[in-house]
Amino acid sequence: MNKVFDRYASFIFFLLGVGFMWMSTTISASAYGSTVGPNIFPFGLGALLVLLSIRLFYEVLKSKDQQTKGEKLDYKKFLLIFTAAALYAIFFEYIGYIIGTFLFLLFSFQVLERGKIVKSLIISGLFSVGVYVIFVVILEGSMPGFPSWLS
Amino acid sequence: MDTLQYLADGFSTALQWHNLLFAFIGVLIGTAVGVLPGIGPMSGVALLIPITASITGGLGPEAAATSSIILLAGVYYGAMYGGSTTSILLNTPGESSSVVTTLDGYQMARQGRAGPALAIAAIGSFIAGLFALAMLIILAKPLSNVAIMFGPADYFSLMLLGLCAVSGLAGKSITKALIMTIFGLLLATIGMDTVSGVARFTFDIPVLYSGLEFLTVAVGLFALGEVFKTILENDYGGGRIAKIGRILPTKQDMKDSAGPIARGSLLGFFIGILPGAGATLASFFSYITEKKISKKPETFGKGNIAGVAAPESANNAASGGAMIPLLTLGIPGSGTTAILMGALIMYNIQPGPLLFDEHPQVAWGLIASMLIGNLMLLVLNMPLIKVFAKVIATPPKYLIPIIVAISIFGVYAVQVQRFDLLLLLGCGVAGFFLTRNDYPLAPLVLGLVLGPMIENNMRRALTTSNGDFMIFLQKPLSAVFLIIALLWLIVPILMKKRGKQVVINEEG
Repeated sequence: MNKVFDRYASFIFFLLGVGFMWMSTTISASAYGSTVGPNIFPFGLGALLVLLSIRLFYEVLKSKDQQTKGEKLDYKKFLLIFTAAALYAIFFEYIGYIIGTFLFLLFSFQVLERGKIVKSLIISGLFSVGVYVIFVVILEGSMPGFPSWLS
Repeated sequence: MDTLQYLADGFSTALQWHNLLFAFIGVLIGTAVGVLPGIGPMSGVALLIPITASITGGLGPEAAATSSIILLAGVYYGAMYGGSTTSILLNTPGESSSVVTTLDGYQMARQGRAGPALAIAAIGSFIAGLFALAMLIILAKPLSNVAIMFGPADYFSLMLLGLCAVSGLAGKSITKALIMTIFGLLLATIGMDTVSGVARFTFDIPVLYSGLEFLTVAVGLFALGEVFKTILENDYGGGRIAKIGRILPTKQDMKDSAGPIARGSLLGFFIGILPGAGATLASFFSYITEKKISKKPETFGKGNIAGVAAPESANNAASGGAMIPLLTLGIPGSGTTAILMGALIMYNIQPGPLLFDEHPQVAWGLIASMLIGNLMLLVLNMPLIKVFAKVIATPPKYLIPIIVAISIFGVYAVQVQRFDLLLLLGCGVAGFFLTRNDYPLAPLVLGLVLGPMIENNMRRALTTSNGDFMIFLQKPLSAVFLIIALLWLIVPILMKKRGKQVVINEEG
């Protein structure tokens, strides 16, 4: 249990609840043939979320400060891999599946453990080409294989 | 006799060669998922939805749905078999429903009886699986006949009951579980309203009109969340694997575990039917029961074979029992069944009382294939157990990036837009931080899946009553469901107040 996280979470959920309530007042209040419109469900849920977040806030206030989990998080490796994954996702359509996957896998393997570059090269190459062949060639799915400016 | 006829039809579906293949792939991957620590049944099933969707692309809509649900269900119950392997050999449970198995299983392995422990786990799972399926076959039709008489108000209250049950048992804090449920329901409202066609919370962004895709959110929260956890906690060192030795259990072993298997199957099945209580709870309860009725309770925790047989039978029976509310009522009782339901809805097949009438091929095909799948699992887990023990040795540093790549590939193959890839990564980060701080994810997914149905039934009920909310209390069935739902939330709170420990279901 992390009190700081819980406190922030209760604020965020409170704001989300208010936001959903406020936004749902702009939705029309009735549907054709019914007095019950599309606004009532999200409005009610938003209200519940607000109530629950207040309750969470009080629970956090009341709870004693428990010790947080001892182990240190390895943010460096995570950020490296996450950034790589984000770049992979953003440029997926430009560089195509095979090149993107190959680069992403190679980079991540090396982040998790340096060295054994040949093995990393082989596994990432086999995986990216293999999946592409199975999916596009055999199953005839559609996936941008190579960048459009290359073929 | 009707049921037998349907079952025969089901077998003719399940025995088509491609469905046999799908069932086999499903249970094979399921066993691997169970064996590999770090991927639970939920993330395994979520990860495979997009892949099955692309494999079955060439089939007709109903056949495609049948084949993919056969595969996905195979992953689900296959994981229940596989989870025992690491518990026994490594003392690390492959998934949460095998936590209790470590107590006696690992001790048995240290005494050189790993083989019989694994074998009993497989045999117990098999018997329990058959039992749960037999009950499913007997109960499916009558239950769906009852459920068909439910009106919208009854349905609304029943689904509310399902949500409350899952939230009440889902984590350390009920408040947090409820917040996640409501949040899931709210996320489900994003997009075009199915009744009136009004766009809600879309901010005129085109990709939001179709709503947040369930698949993307589930894969992100579960699969990527767990991967990020492994990276952040630097948790990819291997352990020492115990030697397996001879596999076949002795006559004495069989005699000792016959009772626990039978009791575990019964108990597991009924716990599995209850919404919110899943395989994890079932395995805990059956272990405690065995310890209580045993003549030598002191041998538990020191390698008593009953301590392996009972929980392993119970968790498999529970996964079979959990299919009952999903198939007959259309209400998933746990995170994994919620994901299965999401998969069925993706194929435009609505689980529920009408499923057995409208899509008998899907329902009975699935049931028949589960019978075949359990048989396959017995074969896979007895002679081939040594092969699977090798799977444990897969270096996680290769596995982790590959899971990320599969997630991205799978989501893109189905959604074909960049927005979903970014949403996927966002959900992965959210999934990690939420679970780390005890916000359970299963209620969120359940809310996301049930959201549109709850809302539609509520609005339908309110339309008939002209906006009067009392309709939910005036209909007797609905009132009963609401009262049970309320009790489900209040009783655990009261028990905690009185200082009793409440067993919670971490698997969801």
